[in-house]
Amino acid sequence: MFEQLFDSALVESVVRALIPILLAALGGMICDRAGVFQISLEGMMLVGAFAAVAGSYLATSATVGTVIAMAAGSAFSLVLAYGAVSRQGDPIVIGVAVNLLALGLTSFLLPQLFGVRGVFQDPRVDGLNRFPIPFLSDIPIVGPAIFRSTIPGYLAMLAVPALWVFLFRTPIGLRLRGVGERPVSAETLGVNPTQYKYAAVVASGMLCGLAGAQLALGNVVQFSENMSSGRGWIAVVAVMLGRAHPAGVLGASALFGAAEGLGFRLQGNGLPVQITDALPYVATLVALALARKRFKRILELTAA
Amino acid sequence: MNRFGKVLGGAVLMAMLVGACAQGDGGGEGPTFIYITPGPIGINKFLELGQLGTQRAAEKLGGSFRTFESTDLNSRRANIEAAVEDAPDVIVLTTFEFTELSAEFAQANPEQEFILIDACPETETPIENLHCGVFREHEGAYLLGLMAGNLTESKQIGSVVALDIPFLHRWSDSFALGAQTVDPSITDSQVFIGGDNPFSDPPRAKEQALAVAAQGADQIFAVGAGSNGGIFEAAQEVGFMSYGVDVNQCPQAAGSIVDNNLKLVDNVVEQLIDGILAGTAEPLTSFGLLEGGTGVMAIGDDLASSECLIADYPDIVTQVQEAADQIMDGSLTVPDPLFP
Repeated sequence: MFEQLFDSALVESVVRALIPILLAALGGMICDRAGVFQISLEGMMLVGAFAAVAGSYLATSATVGTVIAMAAGSAFSLVLAYGAVSRQGDPIVIGVAVNLLALGLTSFLLPQLFGVRGVFQDPRVDGLNRFPIPFLSDIPIVGPAIFRSTIPGYLAMLAVPALWVFLFRTPIGLRLRGVGERPVSAETLGVNPTQYKYAAVVASGMLCGLAGAQLALGNVVQFSENMSSGRGWIAVVAVMLGRAHPAGVLGASALFGAAEGLGFRLQGNGLPVQITDALPYVATLVALALARKRFKRILELTAA
Repeated sequence: MNRFGKVLGGAVLMAMLVGACAQGDGGGEGPTFIYITPGPIGINKFLELGQLGTQRAAEKLGGSFRTFESTDLNSRRANIEAAVEDAPDVIVLTTFEFTELSAEFAQANPEQEFILIDACPETETPIENLHCGVFREHEGAYLLGLMAGNLTESKQIGSVVALDIPFLHRWSDSFALGAQTVDPSITDSQVFIGGDNPFSDPPRAKEQALAVAAQGADQIFAVGAGSNGGIFEAAQEVGFMSYGVDVNQCPQAAGSIVDNNLKLVDNVVEQLIDGILAGTAEPLTSFGLLEGGTGVMAIGDDLASSECLIADYPDIVTQVQEAADQIMDGSLTVPDPLFP
């Protein structure tokens, strides 16, 4: 049964499920570090997916689509940045509004631009190419999944160490964290919190746009109404579960990707859909419980 | 903003919300019909067929028809209000998106005849002036299963279904039944898209289809509505054969789709209009192969130009035609998974 369950197709499925979640979660992580609670990942990913398909269709180029998706995600994130940073609004209220706006806007623009409702699929929409890395992509099981990815896929993987270096080993990263943890102290030291918060929110918009492009031009090549389908919310949880640390966020995203990919496979082996649908949430609860236990032990050790 | 500006702004907003767009030939002496869609027709074949049926009825009876295209919930209501105001002989509505509205307006306007296709409101007593046309989807799904049973080499088939609800088992269970009629040793695997957005989540549907294919199924029935595109992409990537629903989906992934479980909305609209004008239409009519309400491309007239794979297998087409004839003359009954 295990040979039937674990093969390279499963690992590929897990990685495909993981990448959009990881990209969005990294965006959420940057905001979290800058002290902006970011729950509009879902909406920005949806806008990114729509912009990616629209851009790719109009220019018949996946690269153009991806760039437009990142631009659209960034532009859309300004709603939250203005409301939550400049106007000091509640980021949760604004985030919910942004998500609703994204759903309404894309559902409205779909018939306006393409004369269809529900799904837009067209041969002119250019999908993202995969770029296999020689030798590495031949590694059994994990090779094809990780080293035969799309540009957003590689960017997601590279972003994890890059953001770690940025956050913990650069002065700008230090200031960003300072803005999130002690905004008043940061300000007295001459750091402008508004600037940093804006930059963080826009960066998250760009990453969510990239996540949307991967979803709508990489995982599949089409747009469907509300196609982010809760992946942005999973990313919000991944930020919390990973304690806004790049490695933690990667681990949490991998956990959700694995739960989803494994769920699909187990369903084929006869496990009811009601159970496999619950897998990601069960995985979250188990991971939270385990993390808590470890955390407690560290506390005890440091106390002693 | 001054008061005039507000009124003007309101008017513009109303126009945007209503978005009612009328087309078709007006005037004429004969009966009049209004066809209201739940969304823009665009390239939606299902809604196109509804219009075609209304048009055919109007031409046959020397009458006229108009089409009101809706864009959203508000415009659906506004369009029905406008149609009722117009008082045509029949107002034709399609899909579940009109289930509540149809009951509300039919009860409020007992003199106005309504048709609702592919859905029916559940009321304690049937509404006399609302005529629902629903489909026996299991008959077509069974015929697709016969094809799959003949075409499978791995002896494994599967269905990727939006949700695990009894209604959708009409497709998946009947598909499996058809295949197992050909060869009882064929194994069936049904997976459900689930998640937050099962009817419009192509990425998830694609992963499900890939998982079923990875386990050996080479014939996969796509019962996912808006998610189907993902399943067809998987079919093109890894090379299994797929089956579509409602309309001819073969051109969406030419070379990967065998056939489709069709809903011939045009025939149903036409027959219901005839029935209403003759005074014989019931509140609820079910349409299957016999009534020309459902079908598969294999037994239709457009097979050669359909881009469906089944056109390359004349032997199977003959076998499917025989089974369809038996279903129509009553010698073969496909059990309904919804009412076992």
